[in-house]
Amino acid sequence: MSTMLALLLTLLILMILIGGAAGIKSYLSIIINFCLVFLVALLISWGANIILTAACFVPLKLLTIIYLGTHDTRIADKSFLSSFSVTVIIVLLILLFNFLAQTPGIGEQAGEDLIGLSDGPGLGFAAIGVIVAVFSTLGAISEAAVAMSAGLIELKHQNEDLSALKFYQSGLNIGEDILGTAVNTILFGFFGSFLALFIWYTRLNYTVSQILNDKLFAQEFLIMCYSIIGVLLVIPLTTFVVAHSKKI
Amino acid sequence: MKKKYWLSLVVLLVGICAVLFTYFNTNYQATIAVITHVEQLDDVKVKDQYDDTDHEITQQLTLRVLNHQHQGKNYTLKNTYEKSQLQDQKYHQYQRVFVQIRRNQVSISNVKRDWVIVLIIFTLALLMMILIGNKAWLVLASLILNSVIFYAVIRFDIQKNGAGTITIYSLAAIIFATVSFLLYQGIHQKMLAMLTSTIVALLLSFGLSYLIMRLTNEKGITYMAVEYATQSPRSLFIGQTLLGVLGAVMDESTDIVSSLSEIIYHNPRITGQQLWQSGRAIGQEIMGPLINVLFLIFMADALPMTILYLRNNNAIAYTFEYTLSLGVLQSLISAIGIVLTVPTATLCAYYFLVKREASK
Repeated sequence: MSTMLALLLTLLILMILIGGAAGIKSYLSIIINFCLVFLVALLISWGANIILTAACFVPLKLLTIIYLGTHDTRIADKSFLSSFSVTVIIVLLILLFNFLAQTPGIGEQAGEDLIGLSDGPGLGFAAIGVIVAVFSTLGAISEAAVAMSAGLIELKHQNEDLSALKFYQSGLNIGEDILGTAVNTILFGFFGSFLALFIWYTRLNYTVSQILNDKLFAQEFLIMCYSIIGVLLVIPLTTFVVAHSKKI
Repeated sequence: MKKKYWLSLVVLLVGICAVLFTYFNTNYQATIAVITHVEQLDDVKVKDQYDDTDHEITQQLTLRVLNHQHQGKNYTLKNTYEKSQLQDQKYHQYQRVFVQIRRNQVSISNVKRDWVIVLIIFTLALLMMILIGNKAWLVLASLILNSVIFYAVIRFDIQKNGAGTITIYSLAAIIFATVSFLLYQGIHQKMLAMLTSTIVALLLSFGLSYLIMRLTNEKGITYMAVEYATQSPRSLFIGQTLLGVLGAVMDESTDIVSSLSEIIYHNPRITGQQLWQSGRAIGQEIMGPLINVLFLIFMADALPMTILYLRNNNAIAYTFEYTLSLGVLQSLISAIGIVLTVPTATLCAYYFLVKREASK
């Protein structure tokens, strides 16, 4: 048995044990999400319009993450509403900063990996960079929105006669904690995903200014910041959405 | 309240100054030039070996050098790039670039991007000040502190040259977790519950995954596909995986303990059974989305390469193996950590927040 299959099975068993039927749905959401990412890659490689593909798949991914991953439709509705609005704002931010930083394509460090591959494939890699950035942030945004509304709704559920002021105070408490750790998830995800690159910079004695101006570093650093900004915007928006929904 | 806006204003002003300074700064070792004029000379349709059409565009650039011995001199050069901008890129008027000048021949080595990094850092700081207030400093401090620790860990790893990876990165993970929780929470029962849950879940899930890896003889793990490897790719993979798991497990421990502690605060006599119900309810809701966070970070990264491989008529299985498979493995191990955190976080919340408080 290959390692991947064994890990897949272990995860399935654990998710059923701890999550029950809900666990199976979460498991499905991850599989579907993977298929969506791969489908995006396939469609673009066949020459599909990159902007249109993104416009179709971004809401689709949010829907899968939130509605299949979350099992309480009250939580899902609120999370979708707030995370979709945040995503729209973030896309505008990404377009602006990606234009300013001018980081299309693949870094010079990938040189060896590119041997035998075409360097004029006829695809807009600047636009693909935007998709990569949007996709990377989607997870963080929707997770923060779900965690926020799950906590807030559970709180409302346990204490139905909570005053509006106390609710906002508790909301801010939960939000601060969520921001703190969401930032860490993003940071460590970023460290984890680019450990090899940082070791490369250190081993080859890059100067600080060389790193700060490097294409790959800029790409990754910007993506990390987009995700954190997304999570930041989720906190007030979700508290607002949950507080102003009558039926809970 | 007023103080917050004054501080935000200060951050805004300092930010504007810092961005302008970095943008116009010419005090670098390398030579800097500004592109004063761009003219497109040629646009040729080209076909690659896989029959895909691209455009090869040639621009004539006029540069004015801004520092060092050639300061003030103007140069012209030709830049040829593919419209795809996969490896080479298009230049714009007023863009600042690093150049190399040899015998009156000028070549562009890189685009100046540091000012954009400064710009986004201040955008982030400003938004944090306005939306969160005081806690913004803590978040920023933890970002900086963790980066410093990360740098120290890398130095240490290079010294060991890929040996003892599991020990190095497990210890690093525990230090990262302790530092972050100390900063955000201070020392109290809630923090202890979060920290204990994080460490237990991290070691448990990595231990389990590593056991599975060994039992299956690491069959099908394409270590060759680790990007930018300057040391044993297996050690890089293990380090990356441990760091990825850490973030997710920390996040979920905090979410669950934090929500449970609000519930305990409003209802101190909650039973273990009720707490497990609530913990599981919260856990079930965030499990899926959280797994997707890391999954997307790991996947999206490999997307450009995946697209390129597929575009170059590689088989789907081959493309998957060389571009996405390691990210999938990392996500799976993180996912196992995330699922195991639900019981550990609830148990820790019960032990530290209900039992210990009651015995006081």
